[in-house]
Amino acid sequence: MIAQQVLNEWYPVAMAAQIRAGQRRVTQLLGQPITVDLQKGAIVVTGQGGALHVTEAYGHVWACPGAPAHDLFPIPEASEPGRRLVDVGVVRVKCSPLRAVENFLDIAHFPFVHTDVLGAEPHTEVNRYEVQIREDSDEVWATKVTFYQPQAAKSSEGGIVTQYMYRVAAPTAAVLYKTCPNRTDAWDVIGIFVQPLSEELCDVWPWMALYDDVSPQAELIAFQQMIFLQDRSILENQIPRLLPLDPGMEIPTQADLTSIAYRRWLKKRGLTYGAQMVAA
Amino acid sequence: MIRLYDYVLSASCYKVRLMAALVGVKMDHEAVDFHPGRAHKSLEFAQLNPAGTLPVMVDGAMILTESTAMLVYLAKRAGSQWLGPDDAKSAAQVQQWLAFSGRLAASLGMARLHDMLLYQGDIDAWRKDGHAALRELEAALTERRFAGGDWLVGDAPSIADIACFPNVALSQDGGVSLDAYPSVRLWTRRIRALDRFIEMPGIHRLHELSPAPKVA
Amino acid sequence: MTPRWTATGLSQDLPKGVVMAGHWMGHDLAVWRSATGRLQAWNDRCPHRGMRLSHGFVRGETLACIYHGWVYGAEGGCKHIPAHPALTPPATITVTSFACAEQDGVIWVAPADMAGSPPAVSGVQPLRSVSLTCDLAAVLAAEPALHGQDILRGTVQMDGQGHDVCLLVQHNPAGLTLHALSGLGANKVAASRWVENLRRRAEMKVAA
Repeated sequence: MIAQQVLNEWYPVAMAAQIRAGQRRVTQLLGQPITVDLQKGAIVVTGQGGALHVTEAYGHVWACPGAPAHDLFPIPEASEPGRRLVDVGVVRVKCSPLRAVENFLDIAHFPFVHTDVLGAEPHTEVNRYEVQIREDSDEVWATKVTFYQPQAAKSSEGGIVTQYMYRVAAPTAAVLYKTCPNRTDAWDVIGIFVQPLSEELCDVWPWMALYDDVSPQAELIAFQQMIFLQDRSILENQIPRLLPLDPGMEIPTQADLTSIAYRRWLKKRGLTYGAQMVAA
Repeated sequence: MIRLYDYVLSASCYKVRLMAALVGVKMDHEAVDFHPGRAHKSLEFAQLNPAGTLPVMVDGAMILTESTAMLVYLAKRAGSQWLGPDDAKSAAQVQQWLAFSGRLAASLGMARLHDMLLYQGDIDAWRKDGHAALRELEAALTERRFAGGDWLVGDAPSIADIACFPNVALSQDGGVSLDAYPSVRLWTRRIRALDRFIEMPGIHRLHELSPAPKVA
Repeated sequence: MTPRWTATGLSQDLPKGVVMAGHWMGHDLAVWRSATGRLQAWNDRCPHRGMRLSHGFVRGETLACIYHGWVYGAEGGCKHIPAHPALTPPATITVTSFACAEQDGVIWVAPADMAGSPPAVSGVQPLRSVSLTCDLAAVLAAEPALHGQDILRGTVQMDGQGHDVCLLVQHNPAGLTLHALSGLGANKVAASRWVENLRRRAEMKVAA
């Protein structure tokens, strides 16, 4: 039995442009088969019990199998003029959807997994940053995150200290805000929208809203896919597959404040799909 | 300058990128939106390569659409040992391995595209064929080791090794583990340790090759 | 079940500075050799975020996890956490060790408190390790000259001559692995091809 609070959340299930182009996507959400297609000009998501609640945002189709507890989270940057919006394309990973989100929130792995792109030895130290659970929106936020990077974005020249903010906007959706190389007054926005097919299999839909007037679309996509695909073999080799929400089996440090908050937030809200409670 | 129409996650494109890096040939990369855009199947791309495949290599009037041919071109331009020894037997063995690399792409490569990018097809057959090919590679490399040899043909790495390497090194992306193939694993390590080796997503840097940073 | 030594690989397949996956009775292991040649077998799991240590990297006398670079030294204790370079990691951050011994060119593993040495295997030299999709019964049925349960021995025909062969049995989640050793007078290529043929015969019996 899947907890009602899990069913009442929004999950990405397709890329809107592909459905509008006529693709019929037969897939799975929380272990149940669903179909996403265009019917009489409207995008419909159908499960075994009938139509699911649907909304479209940030290039993707979102579905709620239960009764939506709230609207889909806002990303105001998505409607700012001059932004390049990039649908990066789905990647399937044999891991818990929660592990995929947690990896996205982590920076200590940059020098080892994204070597010479997002980080490099000996610049491995993770400086103190701040984490809070924002009560009004019920989201986890990490702010004042900084890390030295050799090549932080497609549009960067040389290494810089990148500033980050991380935001868990839904149980399986997170957004990161990073220093924009081209502007001092705005953040580049990168989202990871994770579709839980089952507790151990997910389709990951990365998305971006950037200020970059120069790079071809194919290069922006390639850069972000490169970063995500470097994480995939890590995600598929973490044991246990399910994210442990109780301490004991895994040992966090100060650098893991965001992940600690994320796990605590999931546990408190009973969003345990893809998690295990017992410290096995 | 040679232009390579390229996709970062393609094992076949990586073969060529890797070869170019190893022999020190610079290329101009043109990123193609293979996924999700399927730009390689567009009418525009068909004018360049009617087969709708990547990579494509253009050098002046020459257009190549087979990655193994591109390896030959890069190796010959570098005028080096990368083509393998000159005798008839070695030349034939190199050709055999280039053909074999096609089987790796058709099995391990397809399993990877299925598991990662949702390609439809007979995944069980792809994985079964992948293991069959890996067994053959394991047997060959093991026999080479008995004779004191580290590479598929001759005493130095050649296009035979580079053609086979990517799909083997990325096999776990498609649910095929290399745990059962010790000679293959040692061979992939040797390639990853080559001077001027470059990685691709799914193939990590060998951090052991760089010394531990001094703790301040 | 009485704890016993299990072969998990051949020495020739684990050079200095390399880590590989191993297995002992349902436990996945990271088996690695340091720069000075010291062999260790650990639980294949970093206590930080559960990443397999068999994907890690060896530097000197340490094995580090590929995910965040946490460094583990002798007996599995964490020596360094790159995110916090000035921190001395607490002694509680440890990876569980298994007993690991190298003998006759074979790497053997057992629980940490295992007494004694691995079984001796004489008169044969290390050949290669092969994995099979069939079970042990199929192997024994395919080759009646082989006798044993964990250590199979027999005299078999290779290239028209009788040679000793020894197959060390390792059960793992993927199936059966046989660590093969061949008689000192046998040609290794012939012996390797004999093992391949045995595998084909054993696996075909299952398919039939």
